[in-house]
Amino acid sequence: MTALRRVALVGGATTKFGVRAATWSELVQEAGTALFRAVPELSAKDVDSLFVGAAEPERFAFQSHVAPLAAELLGIQPRRVLQRTELACASGQSAIRSAYAAIASGLSDIAIAVGVEKMNIPSMAEANTSMACVMDRPWDGAHGATAPPFFAMVAQRHMLEYGTTEEQLAAVSEKNHRFANANPDAQFAEKTFSKEKLLRLPWVSPPLRLGDCSSMTDGAAAVLLVAEEFARRYTDTPAWIRGTGQYSNFHNLAQAGSLTDWVGLKIAAAEAFRSAGIGADSLDFAELHDCFSISEIVEYEALGFCPPGAGGAFVADGQADIGGKVVVNPRGGLLGCGHPLGATGIAQAVEVHCQFTHAVPAARQVPDPNWALVHNLSGSANVHSLMVYQRGGPP
Amino acid sequence: MSTDSPEAVRPRTGPRPGAPPLPASTEPAPTPPTASASAATPPARPAAPKVPTVLDFYPMETAATTRVAAFFDNLRAGRFTTTRCRKDGTLLWPPRVSCPECHGDDLDWVDLPPNGHVYAFSAVLLGAPLGMESEVPFVVGLVDLDGAPLRLFGRIDGGRWETLRIGDAVHVVPVPLDDGRIFYRFVRDLAGSATGATPPA
Ligand SMILES: [Zn+2]
Repeated sequence: MTALRRVALVGGATTKFGVRAATWSELVQEAGTALFRAVPELSAKDVDSLFVGAAEPERFAFQSHVAPLAAELLGIQPRRVLQRTELACASGQSAIRSAYAAIASGLSDIAIAVGVEKMNIPSMAEANTSMACVMDRPWDGAHGATAPPFFAMVAQRHMLEYGTTEEQLAAVSEKNHRFANANPDAQFAEKTFSKEKLLRLPWVSPPLRLGDCSSMTDGAAAVLLVAEEFARRYTDTPAWIRGTGQYSNFHNLAQAGSLTDWVGLKIAAAEAFRSAGIGADSLDFAELHDCFSISEIVEYEALGFCPPGAGGAFVADGQADIGGKVVVNPRGGLLGCGHPLGATGIAQAVEVHCQFTHAVPAARQVPDPNWALVHNLSGSANVHSLMVYQRGGPP
Repeated sequence: MSTDSPEAVRPRTGPRPGAPPLPASTEPAPTPPTASASAATPPARPAAPKVPTVLDFYPMETAATTRVAAFFDNLRAGRFTTTRCRKDGTLLWPPRVSCPECHGDDLDWVDLPPNGHVYAFSAVLLGAPLGMESEVPFVVGLVDLDGAPLRLFGRIDGGRWETLRIGDAVHVVPVPLDDGRIFYRFVRDLAGSATGATPPA
C-alpha cells in the first residue's frame, strides 16, 4: 500500500442543522456557499471530482440521480469521478472514504465530498416508513423494526448484562447536548438538557427516551479533500487521513449475534488503528456515532476506551468529557446536532478540521488536538466505518 | 385502546389471527356505470382491484413474484418453515434461493419450531411507520426459537410491554393480511397473565 498518495482534508463547512424551511437542493446550495466561503482559495474549475453522500433522497425528496444535480448546484463539472454514496447513516463518511480512495489512487487530485439529507417532511409517519426500510424491509421492517426499538434492545441487554442505568444513558445525552450548546449549527444549540430533565422525557422505545434518540434533521455539509501536493494551497493546517477501516457482518436481525459486543466495530477499529499506526490511547478526541445514547456507551467499550461493560461508568465519571481520557463528540454529537443521515459523517469531519485549526468556541475546544477518530455505524450497527485523522502543521 | 384486547393482535387492515385463510381475491365484481347517471352525478367508476404494492412493508408472496412462495403457502397451511442447504445443512433465514456458505442452490424446505423464548424486546411508543400508527404501543423483540439455532426479530402480541419479561415463552401465529397475503407474528403463550408495570431489564 506504499504506493498510495497522502490525502488531506483542507477545509469544510456545514449548514445550520434542524427542522429547516428548505428543500434538499437548497440545503446543497447552502453547504456549497458555506464551503466556498470557508476556503476562499477554492475555485470550482479546480475540482475534478464530486462525491455526494445521500441516504434516501428517493423517499424524502423523491429525487434520484442526485450526484449530477448536486454538481450543477455547486457549479462543478466533474471530469474524473462523480458518484453518490449510500450507506444509510454512514452515507456521508462513505463519500469521504470514496474521495480518499480516488485521491490516494491518483484518479483524483481535488475533490469535494458533500452530504445532505432532508428528513422533515409533512407526514412524519411517511418519514418513519423511510427509516424502517433501512432494515431488512420485508422480514424485519414489516414487524415494525426501526432504529429506536433495535437500539432499545441493545440498551435492555446492556442493562441486564452489565447493570448499566438510565442515569448513565442520560449522562451521554447531557454531555453531547452541553457541547451542542457551543455549536451554533447544532439542531439543539439553544436548548439545555439536564440529566433530571432528560430522565423525565417520554419514552420512544423503552428504556430509550426522547433525549436518548437523535432527531430527524435537515442539513448538509461539505469538505474539500486534496492530494498532498495541493494541500498548502488551501490551508496551513491540513487534517491528514492516516487510517481507515470498515466492516459489515450481517443485515437481517437474525444474524445480529450479541447486541452488546459489537464485533464488527472491533474489527473495523483494529484496521483503522493499524493503518494509522496508532492505538486508541493516542486519540485526543473522537467523533462517535451516538445515534442513541446507548450506542456511544457500547462504542467506548468496542474501541477500547474502557473495559467491556464499563461504558456507563466511563461517561458518568467524565472520562468522555474535556479533561477526561478522550473527548467524545465535542461537536455535540448526533444527539445534540441532529442526524441528517447523509450529512452527519461529513459534519463530523468538518469538526475534525475546525478542532485542529482551533476554530471552535472555547467551551468545546479540545486542548492541543493532534489525533482524531471519526466513527459511523449504519442500520442496526451492522456496518461500522472509521477514519483516523492527524493534524498537520505548517510546512 | 388496551393492547390486551384481541383487537391489538390484528394488523390495522387485516382480519384476526386464526381467521380462515382468505381466498385469492375478496373483491366484489366491478360495478358498471348505471344508465341513469345524470350530468350532475358523475358515473361511478369501477372499483380498482386491491393489489400488493412494492412500497408497502410486506413481502411479495406469490409464485409469480418470488421463488420462496412456499414459505407463505406453508404458513397458510399452519407450518412455519424456511430453507436449508442440502450440502452443508446450513439453516437459512429468511428463506433464500442460494446458500451463502457454499454458494450452491440445492436447498430444501424444513419446518421451524413454532415456539421460542424472548431474548430482548422493546416497544414502539413514538415514531411508528405508516400503517402501524394505530397499533401504537406495540411490542417487538428478538426470539430464540426452541431447538433451532435461530433468533428471529418479530412483533410480539398478546399483552402490554410493561408485563413482558426476557425469557417469556412465545409462539408463532400466521396473520392474514386484508389483500390476500399472509404474514406471521409472535404471541405470548400466557397472554395477559403477567402483572406489574416494570420497565424492561
Ligand atoms: Zn450450502
